[in-house]
Amino acid sequence: MGLLSLTVLSPMVAAVCLLFIPSVSRAVVRLVSLCGAGVSLVGALLVTARYDLAVGGIQLREQWDVVPSLGISWKLGVDGWGVSLLLLTAVIITAGVWATWTEERRAKEFYAWLLVLVTGVFGVFVSLDLFLFFLFYEIAVLPMYLLIGIWGSTKRVESGGPFRFAYDLLDVGGKEYAAMKLTLMLLAGSALILATFFGMVSQGPLTWDLEVLQAREYSRTFQLIAFPALWVGFGSLAGLFPFHTWSPDGHASAPTAVSMLHAGVLMKLGAFGVIRVGMVCLPEGATAWAFVVGTVAVVNVVWGAISAMGQKDLKYVVAYSSVSHMGVVMLGAATMTIEGWNGAVFQMFAHGVMTGLFFALVGLVYEKSHSREIFAMGGFASKMPAVAVFFTIACLSSLGLPGMAGFAAELLVFVGAWNSAHAWWAIPGILGAVITAFYVLRVSRAIFWGEGPSENFPDLVDCRGTEWVAPIMLTACILLFGLAPDLLLRFIDVSTVEHLGWLTEHADGVATLVEGGQP
Amino acid sequence: MTWGAWMLPLPALVLLAPLTAFALVALIPPLRRRGRVAGLVVVTGSTVSLLAAVSLLCGQHGLDQPLSRQVWRWLPSAGQDLAQVGWLVDSTSAPMLVVVGLVALCVQVYSFSYLEDEPGPALGRYFGWHALFVVAMQILVLAPNLLQAFVGWELVGLCSYLLIGYWWKEAHVGKAAVKAFWVNKVADGGLLLGLVVLVGATGTFAWDPTGLDPAVLTAVTLLLFVGVMGKSAQVPLHVWLPDAMAGPTPVSALLHAATMVAAGVFLVVRAWPLFEGAETTLMVLCWFGGITAFAAACFALVEDDVKKMLAFSTCSQLGYMVAALGAGAMVAGYFHLTTHAMFKALLFLGAGSLIHAVGSNSMAAMGGLRKQMPWTCLLFVIGGLALAGIPPLAGFFSKDLVLEGLMRSGHWGPFVLCLAGVLLTAVYTGRALVRIFWGELRSPEAHPHESPALMLLPMVLLGVATVVVGFLGAHFSVLVTGSAEGGAFHIGPVGIGGLVLALAGLGIGKWLADGGSLSALAGVAAQIASSPLDRFYETVWRRVVLVAAAGVAWIDRYVVDGLMNLVGWASLWGAERARRLQTGLVTDYVAAVAVGVVVLVLYTVGGL
Repeated sequence: MGLLSLTVLSPMVAAVCLLFIPSVSRAVVRLVSLCGAGVSLVGALLVTARYDLAVGGIQLREQWDVVPSLGISWKLGVDGWGVSLLLLTAVIITAGVWATWTEERRAKEFYAWLLVLVTGVFGVFVSLDLFLFFLFYEIAVLPMYLLIGIWGSTKRVESGGPFRFAYDLLDVGGKEYAAMKLTLMLLAGSALILATFFGMVSQGPLTWDLEVLQAREYSRTFQLIAFPALWVGFGSLAGLFPFHTWSPDGHASAPTAVSMLHAGVLMKLGAFGVIRVGMVCLPEGATAWAFVVGTVAVVNVVWGAISAMGQKDLKYVVAYSSVSHMGVVMLGAATMTIEGWNGAVFQMFAHGVMTGLFFALVGLVYEKSHSREIFAMGGFASKMPAVAVFFTIACLSSLGLPGMAGFAAELLVFVGAWNSAHAWWAIPGILGAVITAFYVLRVSRAIFWGEGPSENFPDLVDCRGTEWVAPIMLTACILLFGLAPDLLLRFIDVSTVEHLGWLTEHADGVATLVEGGQP
Repeated sequence: MTWGAWMLPLPALVLLAPLTAFALVALIPPLRRRGRVAGLVVVTGSTVSLLAAVSLLCGQHGLDQPLSRQVWRWLPSAGQDLAQVGWLVDSTSAPMLVVVGLVALCVQVYSFSYLEDEPGPALGRYFGWHALFVVAMQILVLAPNLLQAFVGWELVGLCSYLLIGYWWKEAHVGKAAVKAFWVNKVADGGLLLGLVVLVGATGTFAWDPTGLDPAVLTAVTLLLFVGVMGKSAQVPLHVWLPDAMAGPTPVSALLHAATMVAAGVFLVVRAWPLFEGAETTLMVLCWFGGITAFAAACFALVEDDVKKMLAFSTCSQLGYMVAALGAGAMVAGYFHLTTHAMFKALLFLGAGSLIHAVGSNSMAAMGGLRKQMPWTCLLFVIGGLALAGIPPLAGFFSKDLVLEGLMRSGHWGPFVLCLAGVLLTAVYTGRALVRIFWGELRSPEAHPHESPALMLLPMVLLGVATVVVGFLGAHFSVLVTGSAEGGAFHIGPVGIGGLVLALAGLGIGKWLADGGSLSALAGVAAQIASSPLDRFYETVWRRVVLVAAAGVAWIDRYVVDGLMNLVGWASLWGAERARRLQTGLVTDYVAAVAVGVVVLVLYTVGGL
């Protein structure tokens, strides 16, 4: 078995092992989960070390036929993008296991589902077979239903607005509602994806091999229909406006580790799908639709940021900020420039660690204050100084402060946007970053600064024991890749050049655009 | 011992010494909790950094070739370098390195005594931020390209936010810190866009790109200037600076008077190859600078809080620098930055000494302090006279160069504004000096005393610098441009006129302090003091931005998401209706079958 299979399957193996461990031995359950995550982290690091930048392309290939008659095979391989996203996933799951160390309710089942989910995420990033890709995609999405529905928290939303009757009926804000909504909206997206995959596969000899399907020349008409289907299908997971509304409810209801994984890595599956399958396999369609994709992305950026400013619930603020930041990823993708794509993939990483840190801290604050009402809090820094420091770092990365991972990503995306055919995209993009500064600092001040805390919050304490691990890991990633983005970008850049070169060759009209973007 | 190849290069030392201090203080909690020990570590770092900077400056001889340049890849793009980091030591950056290092060291030493009553952990945090600030500021000064300058630019903004927020438990402190960050972030949005446009047009972040279209050049420089307006507190983006005085006084001296706020001016000096050719932008600079120089002096005139008065005075002096740059007198602007850094840091440290002694920021509470605090009085008066532009103090020479530059450029509007500013500056300075040091002590509770030596020593150092630096104009000019022309002092009508205005202003100031009042202008003064601009921003924030945000959030919740919930509702509603088809009554089913048969038969027979 190869390194990639090991990385992908180790969480799944750990999940299966958990089934045979009695629930009462909590320590063993945690240890096994940690091993599953740890092995995949080591695997991801080894993959990074083994990936030869000088050679580029897809490396560490593995292939076995699974259903030859249908052209389905277990075909894995990793490129520079895959390397960075594997690393991200491994970091987030490891941090996530640590962040839920104190989960008492059905801990065994919780960890098992979490690990199954992560196998799905890993799988998507390294699959070179579209069937496998879709299978892993579903494995990543479906456990959410149980994780939120069982371990989530409920906070009713008042009925109102023009569709009041629907709110009266649906129990909006309940954890079951959030779980169902998330699953249904993402499954609707999956249906679009699957239909498009069938379309792609049926355009020639039967195979699901991604590289063969990529090389296939699809008719322009097909591409014009198939690309938007993939864009909306994958986009629903990436928080695409207006199909993003599962995200605030889902992330607010979900337990800490699930929010971390969902906002941290799952949303990236959507963006990865749009770029890797949608744009690279359907270059003409992508080029034709680029204007729409980019324009919706800037709507995402600004709308998400303004919505975040209007929230009073801490988890909702972070969730809406994810919607905004994923817009930056999609904007980078739509630019179809080297800088834009580098920025998009780097932003996936940067946003992943940043939002993972955010949710880990929000979990800590919630656990100790039993509240999510931002403006009821105040002065928490005197009781939890370390949490305040970590939270500030997350805020700073979120608003794109240089030295934090978010800056390099956003800068690249903005440069890409300016170099694209629609330079004005850069302006709302930057506006989004400015609005972000307003809402994150406002929230940070409301929670941590000032006198207090009031006697409504008697249980506030700083990080203790295992609670330190996740924030330290994620902060280290933010600072390391913020100070030296080249460490990761060198991997991303190699694949960007290859994929964008491919797109350039196979799409009319992009060629001049890409050259125009070259310094 | 000589600096051999095996040792760290000096520019690296400039950065690494304070960086090490910061890392030690940040990562070793026991060190941080003992605030004074942390302070010693930080002061050591700053001292090493300053020594390295001084030896770099001594190595400069006004040559065109950079003394030291070293870069590494920071952002790749298609295998090439899109952006680099490293350092560039040349005749432009070397003097600024020393200014920053010197003021930082003075302020840190002063802080030991000024903040001695603070608890250890808080003091450790304070010194840690100070070390980070020095690193950030030197990153900006040493920047080999615009991108690194932007990195340092934002990081000094962060330090400003953290240091203003030192007493974070007080509500108004938090507000001031966040406000400073916000205003700067808005301005930095423009700066970032400028960077993006520049790199889009030239593919590089270099200080001196070639082949830029004039229209693009104008756009880029104007966007850069938006950032400068925020950082260097130009009207109308100056509103954060007076509030920033909520931080400890030494912080105000270092960040909000001498160095950080001057970063905007330094950026223009550094990017002079860009600005030089953009005539429209220079005119805009000149006007904004002139208006700021005049307006902020008016604000200072009606301010009673000694720190806020100095803050407005800083705005005003930054206006002079910007106006000089706009007039094309780059050396004059840069030289005024240097002299201003010395005398304004001195004034702030003096103000700290006064506040320490009297226990109040209000000048109304002070008076007659020259008896109890002779040293502070002497040094503060030196600083004040330098600010007013009285020879032979530094401010006189640099302000004269600024005014000459403005006159030569032919921008008469800004020139007149700046001349009026000279008068006003002398008025508020004179009034403040008399109110603080002469007359009788007005606050009954205060028991003023001279400050300890540890506070006076840095002030003496800055006082000496204030006296000396003014004479170095010609040297400075040789260093920066290679010729003495831009900085040599010669007595002329502008200098004499300025001096007359300054002396008249001091007289008026004394008259005002002695009880004279501008009753005719009282209404105007009250209007200025209530800062309508601030209230306007506040209203926009509360009534427009927050309301709009709540509105958007509502729409997202109940309309965008409402549509999704409508789908959910419709499926439930539809299912409820559809379910009724399954009645369980055989007669219903038979009837349905019969209808179906009829339809099928008709379809087949009729050939429909």
